[in-house]
Amino acid sequence: MESDTQQIALGLRQGDVVVLETLVEQYQYRLVRYLICLLGRRDGVDDLVQETWLRVLERGSSYDGQSRFEPWLFRVARNIALDAMRKRPMFSLDSNDGDGVRPAPASDKPSPFTLAARTEDADRLARSLQTLEPVYREVLVLRFQEDLSLQEISVVVGAPVSTVASRIYQGLATLRPQFEGETA
Amino acid sequence: MNHHESFQHMIDESLAGHISAEREQSLREHLDTCAPCQEYLSASNRVIAGLGGFSFEVDPTLNARVFASLRRPAQRFQAAQPDRRRWVLIGLAAAVLTMGGSFVDLQFGRLIASVFDIQRTHVQQGLLAFWIVPSLFVLLLFPLLPLLSKVGTHREERIL
Repeated sequence: MESDTQQIALGLRQGDVVVLETLVEQYQYRLVRYLICLLGRRDGVDDLVQETWLRVLERGSSYDGQSRFEPWLFRVARNIALDAMRKRPMFSLDSNDGDGVRPAPASDKPSPFTLAARTEDADRLARSLQTLEPVYREVLVLRFQEDLSLQEISVVVGAPVSTVASRIYQGLATLRPQFEGETA
Repeated sequence: MNHHESFQHMIDESLAGHISAEREQSLREHLDTCAPCQEYLSASNRVIAGLGGFSFEVDPTLNARVFASLRRPAQRFQAAQPDRRRWVLIGLAAAVLTMGGSFVDLQFGRLIASVFDIQRTHVQQGLLAFWIVPSLFVLLLFPLLPLLSKVGTHREERIL
């Protein structure tokens, strides 16, 4: 009996619309969340999501079904987002110098994180997340939200495992001070 | 790096899933008795819990829009599938024909020459010119055929 990932790979090779629609329904929210966390904004994300699924259809034959589908999907989405940023540069995903923080955009509009915060801790993190460098925000969300292993994250971001690990440490170090000196 | 910093780095490693079993064990033992490191772990866990406290809204029409945008490309993609199968069949047929031509030449060349009362070399030349070389040519060109076909399709799309 074929595993789920092999069935996905077969469906993608055949351009099977039913398989694609099932994948869209299953992964849409996680894809939207990943792209928002990667870009730090909400506008334009829906277009990138559409483009990502089109790319999944076009390049689906390169998914071999040997590993989980999520890392492959996020890798595709990341490439689409990078292409979009090259056309309309806002910030670089490759910049990771300094303390991992960049200036907050000058805008009265609440950040997507402020709007999406549903708990007190999330509310406290919202502003710091907005100013955190995308490379750190990205690995934090992939590790602690998407539950990807370091190896899988390394595939998504195209960086060695050691780099991914140090980005996670740096991201946690930037956000942690808000909760230090308190009992949980 | 002082004693606590060393264990706090191990906490980071543990949270990232990048720690060996021995170091994890040593960390657990240390945490039982170290208040500053317990606090460090607690603050880290709250960051992780905080990251899970976001709920992004997704436009309820997004799935429908994605399905609509996929439908036509998916049909085109599926329509292109038989083409690939056809190219594979052509390649196989060319390989079989090349081998068949050589086989006929080797096994029946002399017989054909005697039946038609012609020289064996003429039979060979005829088979080469009208059978073996054309099928060999298709076989050698085979890897390029899908590429040529794709160029043609793109040109067609641009015209449309």
